[in-house]
Amino acid sequence: MEYAYVNARIKAMKSRLLDPSLLEQLINKPDVDSLISELEKTAYREELEKAGVLYSGINRIEVAIRKDLVKTFRTILTLIKGGETETYLTIILNRWDVQNIKTIIRGKKIQENPAEILECLIPAGELDEAALTELVKQVDVKAVIDLLATWGIVYARPLTQHFKEFTDSGDMQVLEYALDTFYYQDALAKLKTAESDDARILKNILVTEIDINNIKTVLRSVRDRIDTEEVKRYFVQGSPDFDTEKLLSMMKAGTIEGVLKQLEHTPYQFIAKIPPEYIAAEKISAFEKELERYLVKKAVGQFMGDPLSIAIPIAYIWAKFTEVTNIRVIARCKVTEVPEKELREALISV
Amino acid sequence: MVDFGIPIGAGIAFGLGALGTGIAQSRIGAAGAGTIAEKPEMFGLMIILVAIPETLVILGFVVASMIMIMLV
Repeated sequence: MEYAYVNARIKAMKSRLLDPSLLEQLINKPDVDSLISELEKTAYREELEKAGVLYSGINRIEVAIRKDLVKTFRTILTLIKGGETETYLTIILNRWDVQNIKTIIRGKKIQENPAEILECLIPAGELDEAALTELVKQVDVKAVIDLLATWGIVYARPLTQHFKEFTDSGDMQVLEYALDTFYYQDALAKLKTAESDDARILKNILVTEIDINNIKTVLRSVRDRIDTEEVKRYFVQGSPDFDTEKLLSMMKAGTIEGVLKQLEHTPYQFIAKIPPEYIAAEKISAFEKELERYLVKKAVGQFMGDPLSIAIPIAYIWAKFTEVTNIRVIARCKVTEVPEKELREALISV
Repeated sequence: MVDFGIPIGAGIAFGLGALGTGIAQSRIGAAGAGTIAEKPEMFGLMIILVAIPETLVILGFVVASMIMIMLV
């Protein structure tokens, strides 16, 4: 893989990401219209103009940034066509497939309007807009899974395996967990035999994601006093440091303080620094936010890694996604008139 | 008896310099093409960056010339 061309191009694309001062200006805008005016001075101008034909207000921003994100990711995928690098990049982009399938089946379960579901999707993975439109048209969850199976999409496998359990319990988490587990296991299996630096970099990020998901599950379960045996099945395997045994010992601590104590001398010990009032109130969202920030920082920090490796595309994908998430947060906070302090807390700073 | 050592030495000095320049320019050229594709305004800077490794082959040429002029 000739990284010199691709990574130089991605680094040039990085220079078009919004810098902190511009993000600050967006935060200080009084309403959505002034936010759109400010965004029109950035790289989002083209998509904002296109979206302006059909949408207005926050919908215009939502559609524009979503299309821009998809266009950017497709550009990167086009640049990295062929070889193992494409496989690795597809692994990263497949997370949006998983996210989209989850959104569709969630929408189908509550019988949401197909147009509403479609607006929430980000066709950045292998399932493009046409495929997602077709999935959204299906009448129920079963029909969505059947169509995925007909197309030979791998995600039909875990969904089919757990469908009976889902229909018996009516718990959406069964299918969501099955999808997540399959995604991580499939990705790690593809990377298992690879010994390149690229595979190592990607595996490192995936393992961090798995750890963070498992720690979140432990924290939530401890707060809600859920039985250890019940939670055990929701752990995603694949992390060498946080295997089932370690996670179960964290669960047995029984309290948030106990879990935090067990995280000492691990890369996640920073969450113990969260103000004691959050720990006392068992406010898990504060821990989740910190863990997500850590993951984003780690992924975006790959920009400082080997300039001739997959580190740069990985960092850019995360940086772009974080930027889009931040713009969405700002836009929604402007619509709902959320105080500035809370808005700043909701942003993911890198 | 013709001494081949001096011209061979001059050839190595020039040739390795040229080889180094080629390797460096191929990498910088690829990166430069990528940058210009996204930011055409960087064209001037990229030309300069691509030209910098030429110093290697110029030095090689100077050394080769000195060998030929001073030792022959």
